[in-house]
Amino acid sequence: MTKVEAVIQTAKLDAVKDALHEIGVEGMTVLEARGHGRQKGHTEVYRGREYTVDLIPKIKIEMVLSDEMVERAVEAIKVAARTGKIGDGKIFLTRVSDAIRIRNDDRGESAL
Amino acid sequence: MAAPLSHELRALYSGESARVRDAFQANGRGPEALAARTALVESIALRLWRELVSPDSGGPHDFALVALGGFGRRWLFPYSDVDLLFLHAAGDTEREFKDAVRRFSQELWDLRVKLSPAARTLSECARFDPNNAEFSISLLDGRYLAGDRRLFSHLHERVIPKLVERESRSLLERLAELARERYAKFGDTVFHLETNVKDGPGGLRDCNLVSWIELISHLGKHACWPDEASLLPASVRKQYDPALSFLMSLRCFLHFRHSRDDNTLAWEAQNEAAALHVGMAGPTALSASDWMRVYFGHARTIHRMCVRLLDEIPAAGRSLYRQFQHMRSRVSNPEFLVVDGRIAWQGSEGVREPEVILRAFRFLARHDLRLSSAFESQIEQALPLVCADPPRGIELWHHLQEILIAPHAGAALREMHLLGFLTVVLPEMGQIDALVVRDYSHRFTVDEHTFVAIENLHELRQSRSKWDQRYAELLEEIEQPDLLYLALLLHDVGKGAKGDNHVQASVAIAETCLDRLELDEPDRETVLFLIAHHLELSACLRRDIFDPDTVRQLAERVETPERLKMLCLLTYADIKAVSPEALTPWKAEDIWQLYIGTANYFIRTVDDRFHASMDDEVMAHLLTLAPAAGHKLESFLEGLPRRYLRTHAASEIIGHIGMADRLADDRVQIALSRGRHLYELTLVTRDRPFLFATLAGVLAAWGMNIVKAAAFSNQARIVVDTFYFTDRFRTLELNLPEWERFKSSIHDVLTGKADLEKMLHDRMRSGRTAAPKVEVEPRVEIDDACSTQSTLIEVIGQDRPGFLHGISSIFSRENCNIEIAIIETEGQTAIDVFYLTAGGAKLTTAHQERVRDALMAELTRPQTSR
Repeated sequence: MTKVEAVIQTAKLDAVKDALHEIGVEGMTVLEARGHGRQKGHTEVYRGREYTVDLIPKIKIEMVLSDEMVERAVEAIKVAARTGKIGDGKIFLTRVSDAIRIRNDDRGESAL
Repeated sequence: MAAPLSHELRALYSGESARVRDAFQANGRGPEALAARTALVESIALRLWRELVSPDSGGPHDFALVALGGFGRRWLFPYSDVDLLFLHAAGDTEREFKDAVRRFSQELWDLRVKLSPAARTLSECARFDPNNAEFSISLLDGRYLAGDRRLFSHLHERVIPKLVERESRSLLERLAELARERYAKFGDTVFHLETNVKDGPGGLRDCNLVSWIELISHLGKHACWPDEASLLPASVRKQYDPALSFLMSLRCFLHFRHSRDDNTLAWEAQNEAAALHVGMAGPTALSASDWMRVYFGHARTIHRMCVRLLDEIPAAGRSLYRQFQHMRSRVSNPEFLVVDGRIAWQGSEGVREPEVILRAFRFLARHDLRLSSAFESQIEQALPLVCADPPRGIELWHHLQEILIAPHAGAALREMHLLGFLTVVLPEMGQIDALVVRDYSHRFTVDEHTFVAIENLHELRQSRSKWDQRYAELLEEIEQPDLLYLALLLHDVGKGAKGDNHVQASVAIAETCLDRLELDEPDRETVLFLIAHHLELSACLRRDIFDPDTVRQLAERVETPERLKMLCLLTYADIKAVSPEALTPWKAEDIWQLYIGTANYFIRTVDDRFHASMDDEVMAHLLTLAPAAGHKLESFLEGLPRRYLRTHAASEIIGHIGMADRLADDRVQIALSRGRHLYELTLVTRDRPFLFATLAGVLAAWGMNIVKAAAFSNQARIVVDTFYFTDRFRTLELNLPEWERFKSSIHDVLTGKADLEKMLHDRMRSGRTAAPKVEVEPRVEIDDACSTQSTLIEVIGQDRPGFLHGISSIFSRENCNIEIAIIETEGQTAIDVFYLTAGGAKLTTAHQERVRDALMAELTRPQTSR
């Protein structure tokens, strides 16, 4: 099992969700996030005051998938989230040792 | 105890509990189920008493078993606790029966009855413990079960009445405190989409509260028990009894559904309850939403009774409270008397005129008071008369304006709604009365959401939160906040209509409403615009808010900075009213960033010019409104900045064309009018050096405080300058003849017949300038890239008399032509934006620096020197 964490642009959430549903990913956690990589902040001056946003609004999607789903999910996210400009986001993959469904004690992939 | 009895009781309890359940599921009658379960538990308790304490139910001497709480009231819900009191005459029996009581309790627990036992002596029952007032209150429901009947009678007939007589004030205060704490947990409203039918406002706990308050009040006055049937007046019982029966059935249903003491009325439970007609007299075809409206109707009735009763009970620390209430009574006027925070009408007869009712709600909205019970009844009695000929038109709108902009508008609107008056004057609100819309992020019914949103805007002014303060500043800048509040009131009325698009439905319903209120066309357009676009900013938050295209598209849809401000505030209040958690700091930051990005876009694209040949649609629209204007319209508009068109209504544009037309007779055309907060002066004339600076100077010389201004010129160099100002010395307000002298003075200065410098000198000599409350750091920003034709200069500084005259004179002295000026004042900060040209082109870099130096010298000049 692999945990897939994708940080994407807010505008791309619906497209990424649809793409993941299409390949059969049923569950995910979506978080409002802020951050930046090489895409630095944004400064706007309004009425003489500077409003600097160092951390840009992003969406973070998390899901744990069976290994055979991972590459398809990564591909789906990449295609749906890409604009080709700085700030499109990143995908991180982490190995997961086990999963437990609290309701019925299912373990491993059957708990996903 | 012998095993066979345990087995027998277990079999009895489980068999009879199943029968109670089956009977309820068959007939849905909650009160019957509660009585049956009470009788079952009572019969088991008596068996155990005879087995473990005394073979005779009336024995032993000096020891009795008393049912308390819901058990005492015979309202034993399927999974509720069973409250029992082991009452001893003194400590002897307590020691003697200690073991029997332990075994008695153990047996009930083994049956899975959730027992809450208490053991007290008579003297302990007679004592009031401020830290456990709940026990004294529970004694009010005490009922004899077994043991020494004389001991119980002593408790019931002597100890409790004396205790309550002595401590009635403390008991009532504690009850009120507990209720207020409980209400606060539920946001002080009945109208939760998913609620708790026991503890929520208007729930069963409130039914108890009504009878406890009445009981304590009676015992406190008479030291004897009232006749149960006469505890509540017949008029109250008529509403109380059906509500209680409904709530009993509902809680019973929830207990059986959840198989535990869980009183949450969640979505799924609502679906089932509606399908099973829970609480209804017979089968009905109600949807879950309509069934919830029945629930809210009952809960609202019970909650209102409680609120009225609680109003009679001052909060703890009552001397201060009383003083405060007494102080508030000073707001009484010849029409309304304020006593203890409640408004009574001083008229000699019943209320008949809707005007009186509307004035009462205006009064309430201003002063955060409640209507007295008598006044509420008077209004309710007047409703049929008001319904026959409801108020409408501009007079109704003027009353609503005053209510909407007053600080306690939310409370006033809620009260109007509760009494049915709001739906009489605005029938559109009837569609969302207690309306449940299954949006899982929402916490309240649609009507309550609307009132909370209006409160959110008003509360901005008092808030200490960083976010709220930013938006509070915006709110202060809104020219017509009444329109913003009206849009908020109507923004979701379409949720009660059929169809998927509630925004379109809200607009259609609002159109009818605005027709009835006879709003001016520009005001009507603004309200409809806000309703039609109330989800626009939220939609933008799902895109890249820093993308110039997102900002440009939003600006094009919003059209004017004023509308952007209103939409921003509406969005903020609307999201915050969804639920207390809905407006995350993430969202608040994004709305603000989107707002400032779009506001700056407006400033930086302001010199985009209008050309009749390229703007057929606008021309056609204006020509339909003023067909007689013909070619004059085209020549007047040619070359004017588009912002001019966005910030002026068609009627104003036509007025300006008329003024331009009269320039042949008089080269200076002036119009002066007074708005709600500001005076508006419009000048139409041919452009020339120092024109803007001179006009600003005349206003300063008259002591006027310029709050906003805009200057535009067309291709023919005809300028339209508009100044909005306050009259610091009330010269115009108190002296009508001064209006003409003021206009003549402007005319004379602009035509060279009067000396502006002398006027200014006289004013500065006589005027005393107070020290500024806030120091504003002066700034001059120059942007040479945002316009293709002009150089943008933004000047920020400490506002003071003559500020605008000072800086605009610099531009004239530096041979700059003001193409466009946008002047705003935020508190004591002047924020002025100018689009300048020199010789028909942008300013050179050297020229820009000269202007910057001169401006900084002016901004940092001590206030007194000229």
